[in-house]
Amino acid sequence: MNNSYVGKVKAGEVITYIFLILIVAFVILPILFMLVASFMDARQIMAMPFRWIPSKDYFSSPTRTFFTNFIKAIRGNNNNNIFFRSMLNSLVVAITCAVTTVFFSALCGYGLAKFKFKGRNVVFMAIMSTMMIPFEAIMIPLYMVSKMLGIMNTLPGLIIPFAISAFGVFQMRQYLLTFPSEYLDASRVDGLGEFNIFLRIVLPNSTPVIATLGILSFRNQWDNLLWPMLCAQAEKLKTLPLYISGFAEEKQTDEGALMACALLASIPMFILFFTLSKYFLGGAAVFESRKG
Amino acid sequence: MKSKVKTYSIERKQARYGFAFTLPCLLFFAFFSFYPIINAFITSLTNRRAIGRTWEFIGFENYAYLFTKENGGFSLMNSLRATGMFTLGCFIPMVVVSLLLAVLIMQLRKPGHKKFFELSYYIPAVLSSVVAATIWRIMFQPTGLINQMSNFIMFTTGKDYKWLTDNGMLMASTIIVYFWKYIGYFAILFITGLASIPPTIYEAAIVDGSSRWHTFWKITLPLLKPTVMLVSIMAMLQCLKTFSTQYMFVVGGTARKPIDVITMNIFYTGIRNGYLGRASAMSIVLFFIMLFFTYFQFATQKGGDDVEY
Repeated sequence: MNNSYVGKVKAGEVITYIFLILIVAFVILPILFMLVASFMDARQIMAMPFRWIPSKDYFSSPTRTFFTNFIKAIRGNNNNNIFFRSMLNSLVVAITCAVTTVFFSALCGYGLAKFKFKGRNVVFMAIMSTMMIPFEAIMIPLYMVSKMLGIMNTLPGLIIPFAISAFGVFQMRQYLLTFPSEYLDASRVDGLGEFNIFLRIVLPNSTPVIATLGILSFRNQWDNLLWPMLCAQAEKLKTLPLYISGFAEEKQTDEGALMACALLASIPMFILFFTLSKYFLGGAAVFESRKG
Repeated sequence: MKSKVKTYSIERKQARYGFAFTLPCLLFFAFFSFYPIINAFITSLTNRRAIGRTWEFIGFENYAYLFTKENGGFSLMNSLRATGMFTLGCFIPMVVVSLLLAVLIMQLRKPGHKKFFELSYYIPAVLSSVVAATIWRIMFQPTGLINQMSNFIMFTTGKDYKWLTDNGMLMASTIIVYFWKYIGYFAILFITGLASIPPTIYEAAIVDGSSRWHTFWKITLPLLKPTVMLVSIMAMLQCLKTFSTQYMFVVGGTARKPIDVITMNIFYTGIRNGYLGRASAMSIVLFFIMLFFTYFQFATQKGGDDVEY
């Protein structure tokens, strides 16, 4: 009897593994495709049957080398050579937004969690209610506001509307509610000013939540296509998603170059993911705190 | 007496700091959330255009126009239908499959294997939506990889499944892209939810002779209900806002109409064609749809707090 039970469990486990591995295949296949296709030309990508391993004759033509697609991807439309510029813009926007989001969210969350003041709940509710306003619903007025402020077509224009997130405030507040007040009082007795307490005591002791929030905000901006489409019309201001969409529009049928472009554009995020995967997967912890 | 006065003043000083700390955020949201949404509503009542300096109030004419007219071939009704179909077709499979993955991963005994599956499933979520849509758009080409695989699976030869040209298939294609990108992300959310259920409950169930299947239906799922509700609505809200996938498909040469989701229609109407008033009216419609579901989310969240283990 015992044996059959073990057998049953084993069979169940095998089925579980088969299913999980099938899903891995589904998830990884398109990424492998991007990798392989980035070395091929359009004819090879559309070949029937598709050959996963590029053979030597793929590169035998004199006009075509191993890196032809990558060179095209970097040169861009009309050889404007703005690929690295776009990547730099994306990095600057995403990093700045991550830093400002963390800083201001932490500051506000700290104020809400550890201080009593008149109207605190009103302030909290007001900030929370902005979570119900999706960016997509206010992009038209934001476009008009940015024009008015003169930040249209500037780097600050790409950053400012996303400099703080209400979700970040909420998350920091939830985290700091459990922050031991004794530390704060002890620092006050030691004569540390309130802002210094925040900088030197609160921030350094909140690293996990800061990392998670920072990554979340970085990713959101790295992925943002809609706002840069409205705000960054100048070539030198383009971010990567904008660069890719422009490239895709012009090179509709040059699939190899497109895949090379997609691959190159994904490298920074892959590096970030594999070095900080703990905080990426910990992004779920965000959600736990959300349940409050 | 003296000390009492002192604590009072310290409290007041503290209160001032507390408010000062929240002030930057408050100002920010006043300017970049509250003002724009009010502005969107006001603009939706005007005939404002991107070109042209003057405009006038026309009441609810924009709304009447959007709900009855064609809007140059891309009507709001079509967009609502496209968004609704996308959202329904996407978030239900996404929630079901990611929950299943989470439950299966949690049952693995080797932590190394758990970690491997978690990491692999998460990879698409790391790619930007623009990249994801581009990869899939190429794989969906008539002679591309997916059509070849469909032929293989369906035992057909040389059949064109029209992944990008048939209206229904085009919708399905965008759903697959989104599904692919986010199942790992939502699976991880579920795993965190599952991890917060104390293992002693499972142990007790196993001691009582409960089968795996039984354990899942009678113990895991009820305990997970708040998480399931919350993740479902999060997934739904995200689907309602989809833009990049559809836009990249259109840029890549597919038809716009079958996948003309509401955000894309706002973009084309407001920014490309310059009908700011009309696009604002669409924004307000989107806002109320999202508001409804967000309210729903908060309501379920409240219910979720009652669960104790």
